[in-house]
Amino acid sequence: MKIRKLLRIFHRDLGYFIVGMTIVYVVSGIFLNHRHDFNPDYSIYSEEFSFDPNAKDATNKATLIAIINDLPHDLKYKKHYIDSEGMVKVFIESGEVVINPDSGKGVFRYLERRPVIFGMNKLHRAAIGTVWKWVSDIMAFILLFVAVTGLFLLKGKRGFIRWGLWWMIAGFVVPLVFILIFV
Amino acid sequence: MKNLVLLSIVAAFLFSCGQAPKNQEAKNEEPLKEAVVLSIDDLLAQASDLADKEVVVKGTVMHVCKEGGARCFLMGSGEEITIRVEAGEKIGAFTQEQMGSEVQIVGILKEVKSEAEAHNPGAEHGEATEDAETQDAHKILAENQAAAEREFFIEGIAVKEL
Repeated sequence: MKIRKLLRIFHRDLGYFIVGMTIVYVVSGIFLNHRHDFNPDYSIYSEEFSFDPNAKDATNKATLIAIINDLPHDLKYKKHYIDSEGMVKVFIESGEVVINPDSGKGVFRYLERRPVIFGMNKLHRAAIGTVWKWVSDIMAFILLFVAVTGLFLLKGKRGFIRWGLWWMIAGFVVPLVFILIFV
Repeated sequence: MKNLVLLSIVAAFLFSCGQAPKNQEAKNEEPLKEAVVLSIDDLLAQASDLADKEVVVKGTVMHVCKEGGARCFLMGSGEEITIRVEAGEKIGAFTQEQMGSEVQIVGILKEVKSEAEAHNPGAEHGEATEDAETQDAHKILAENQAAAEREFFIEGIAVKEL
């Protein structure tokens, strides 16, 4: 079997195989690129609220649970402590509530995992243990193989030497320019 | 073709055997049971003697790094007593949902000896990403860091929610 035909077969089948992984890395890559614009993992809901501080002693657990139960998002109390400035910090499941017991003002922050994206980001960061690191390395090599073999699939006028080479150089130039200017 | 899909599923399953459990709570149960579990207060009091040794410590998760949960801070008897825990490859990442949870950490206690080992939130996250909670937490942690003569952190090996 000719080498080009063999490469074509491997390129085709591994190309199909790597689509899922490529989508995971591309989609999560966009979210992680914008990590300074928004939280890529969680939707964060933050809201201020107030209560009558004279009616409620917002430093004991029962009162705090009652205050939290009145807030939206079905917040669940975990534990609380009073910080050095006298603010009550309440840990809730997926967030926190900060209360000023004197003024009766508070703010809650509730976090909700972005469906699907949360998992994709974990995979992208390789933050799920050692085995995934090696699996993703193998997938990366497959993607590299698919990219490189793709260079040599076509012959003739639109082949690598007469056509593809220039596109490939253009593709290298884009990141290279940014490296030269900003790195 | 169907066989190929089945083969992929089996291969992925076999690969994942031995992988960290999803919530990592059950990870390394045995060392957690055998070792002496220190509070954060006790750990910091004995930090000089325990440096570079494996420790088991228990505390409340006070703050989790917003960018991927690469590290968390455990609080002792008050917010002025904290220690940083790096998730590293073995733990992978902490989650925001762990904030306020009581956790037990197995890890190596390390002293901060270089800038690379120090917690530098401005450089890591950029200024624009810090919300009010993160700013408050970083302020407290910076104060604790400034008050300490020597700074220590834990390289995490395993975590268990209590």
